[in-house]
Amino acid sequence: MRRYVARRVAALAVTLLFVSALVFVVVRVLPGDPVAVIMGTEGGREAGDRLRRAMGLDRPLPLQYVTWVAGALRGDLGRSIQYDVPVGALILSRLPVTLPLTLLAAAFMVLGALPLGLYAATRHRRAGDYAAMIVSQIGISVPQFWSGLLLILLFSVRLGWVRSGGFDGWSAGVGPALRSLLLPAIALGFFQAAVLVRATRSAVLDVMREDYVRTARAKGVSEPRVLARHTLRNALIPIVTVAGIQLGQLVAGSIVLESVFALPGLGRLALGAITARDLPVVQGVALFVASVIVLVNFAVDLAYGLLDPRIRYE
Amino acid sequence: MTRRALLAVLSAALVAVAGASADAQGPPSLVVQASTEPPGLDLTATPASATAGVVLYNIQECLVKVDRHGKLGPWLAERWHTADNRNYTFFLRRGVRFHNGRELKAADVKYVFERALNPETKHPYAKDYEAIGDIIVKDDYTVTFALKSVNANFLQNIARQGSVIYPREAVDTLKSAPIGTGPFRFEDWVRGDRIVLVRNQDYHVKGLPKLDRVTFRFITDPNAVQAALKAGDIDASLFGLGAEHVQDFQKDPRFTVIVGDTTNDVILAMNNSRKPYSDVRVRRAMTYAINKPDVLKGAMFGMGKILGTNVDPLNPYYVDLSSAMPYDPSRARKLLAEAGYPNGFESVLRVSPQYQYTVRSGEVIVDNLRKVGVNVKIEQIEWAQWLARVFREADYDLTIIGHAEAWDIKNYANPKYYFRYDSAKFQELFRKSEESVDDARRRDLYVQMQKLLVEDAPAVWLYMHPRLAVAKKGVQGLWKDLPVPAADLSEVSWTPAK
Repeated sequence: MRRYVARRVAALAVTLLFVSALVFVVVRVLPGDPVAVIMGTEGGREAGDRLRRAMGLDRPLPLQYVTWVAGALRGDLGRSIQYDVPVGALILSRLPVTLPLTLLAAAFMVLGALPLGLYAATRHRRAGDYAAMIVSQIGISVPQFWSGLLLILLFSVRLGWVRSGGFDGWSAGVGPALRSLLLPAIALGFFQAAVLVRATRSAVLDVMREDYVRTARAKGVSEPRVLARHTLRNALIPIVTVAGIQLGQLVAGSIVLESVFALPGLGRLALGAITARDLPVVQGVALFVASVIVLVNFAVDLAYGLLDPRIRYE
Repeated sequence: MTRRALLAVLSAALVAVAGASADAQGPPSLVVQASTEPPGLDLTATPASATAGVVLYNIQECLVKVDRHGKLGPWLAERWHTADNRNYTFFLRRGVRFHNGRELKAADVKYVFERALNPETKHPYAKDYEAIGDIIVKDDYTVTFALKSVNANFLQNIARQGSVIYPREAVDTLKSAPIGTGPFRFEDWVRGDRIVLVRNQDYHVKGLPKLDRVTFRFITDPNAVQAALKAGDIDASLFGLGAEHVQDFQKDPRFTVIVGDTTNDVILAMNNSRKPYSDVRVRRAMTYAINKPDVLKGAMFGMGKILGTNVDPLNPYYVDLSSAMPYDPSRARKLLAEAGYPNGFESVLRVSPQYQYTVRSGEVIVDNLRKVGVNVKIEQIEWAQWLARVFREADYDLTIIGHAEAWDIKNYANPKYYFRYDSAKFQELFRKSEESVDDARRRDLYVQMQKLLVEDAPAVWLYMHPRLAVAKKGVQGLWKDLPVPAADLSEVSWTPAK
């Protein structure tokens, strides 16, 4: 087990180095630099050149990269060009929005998808199954930004139950904060739930064809017990795999939904930073998100061992 | 989990949601939407209009001010005097206090402009102050600017966003927490979400401001802006909505829609250094081939004004030349044939979808041009790329963009500007206009410049982008026209209808 963890940590480091180099090169190879965006169409060329020198953007690319990596290793991700605050602090300040949003969406995803997938599997090729598949098909087909807008139209414009967007922070109270996150989490979770329903259904169907399920039923075990103990637990490995991948996609989806709901989260930070060519922020966020996804995958791998004791990490 | 449990969870969530309705908004505070979060709040470091929209006239002010009608008048300087157009003496208003409580003195003015002139500070408009030779503090309330040469734009430049007066001791926090003399004090900036300003109790204009608190909320997606207005979460959108969204609000009795003038000239720029646009006949043909009323209808639902040249209707020297070269496709075809393109040619139009109106204008123009044999392909590029490739490197055939700056006819006198228009005659006229302080003489030069531009057709001037603002009924005192890129809220008041 210890060797396994060590291997994973090494893999994490390599992944992060690779991601950082990739992001670094990509954002700099793209035409357009932060100075051009800051100066817009009005600032003078000389003023722009002075600013570029002051920001160190006239130095060779490899040198800039090494400087940045050296800083990152010391925990210093640099300063945001746009906001003039440390990137690390900026990312931390966005987590209270994105983290709960993603977790809430993940909760909606799991709580919605598992029961529905299980239900569809037990009603295989009957009306209930078809209904569940139609719902999930709709969920997959509807773009998240659009379902987000529809939710806003219904719940805030028509009914006036929640506000249309924005986030006052947790200091304004847990209730209001959760209310601000509810609609985006539903919009975000719904799409991912739709995918997970299908994964759950097919995983459960596969297991239900196994001999031991037939044996359990033949022994006279009650159907709920067959489903919970014999079927679901064995079906969980492919489901957890899909859910793990989807957690990463939730972070990506939050970029779109944070814009629709005007939430000051990590996704919107990244989007704004790309538009403004705020290079240190783009790099910092990419590094952070990559770390989270690698860690989630790590957790998923560990979960396999818990779900199926036959799996050993050596 | 069973179906019933799932239902229970969902309904509990819905009850929690329904239980708490939106907090009652007590007047007089106003929530205003802004599309773009400012890249820092330091007007001496960024030319961004998003920064000016929050800071200019709200937090910081200049010696002179451009009012809502575009007229230049005294402000922090209660009057000024010049005998020779070389030495301008400003007499400061007494008792004006910065937000930190200290009184504004002549030494502050000297500091601000000397700092702007210092290349170390990277002031984006340093060029505007090059004419200043010396700044002499006569006493605490009197300061004289001695110019190296006569500069007709001097007062205009002193009124611009880069010329705001701030206290020397607050220079390090200009970017994140600016201090000035304006009607509102900066209170808070929640990065990514909002900026909050509160009333300046010691404001030097009696009775102003009328609002206690102003919140700028950053909402980028226009659909989200629409929803936020309709749901009552914001009170006004001053810049964020396009013509396609405003229509809906014009029919809604709960809102007031403001359609006004701006200094934003939307143009189809042609690369004058590239074939075939280096030929004036081709450029004229392009002008004749484009049906500007159609473009205005297609891109802006008819809101805005058709332009004939690069001086906007808010400019005192504006001449209406919008029908000088009217839509005439057969004439365009003839000119193209004369220039050696009887069968037209192919070209690429680069636009940035960040500004939707440019894409929509482009679609109409492509259709217009096809009728005279010019086949244009639209290429959409991201804004940062547009700035780098089109604006900086002039790597383009055709592009569409709004030029928002007032008095930007000067760009045509700069052969390195991305139009690459190089006319000795125009440059000479412009130089003279910079040195003429006599109003009649200056007007005459401006008329000549505008006529020369029509003649040379270095670009096709399409339309003035209208100011489009939506506010709840009851919000009063907003500017109708935008002669400067400011959202002056000092005189805004409101009584929420309910």
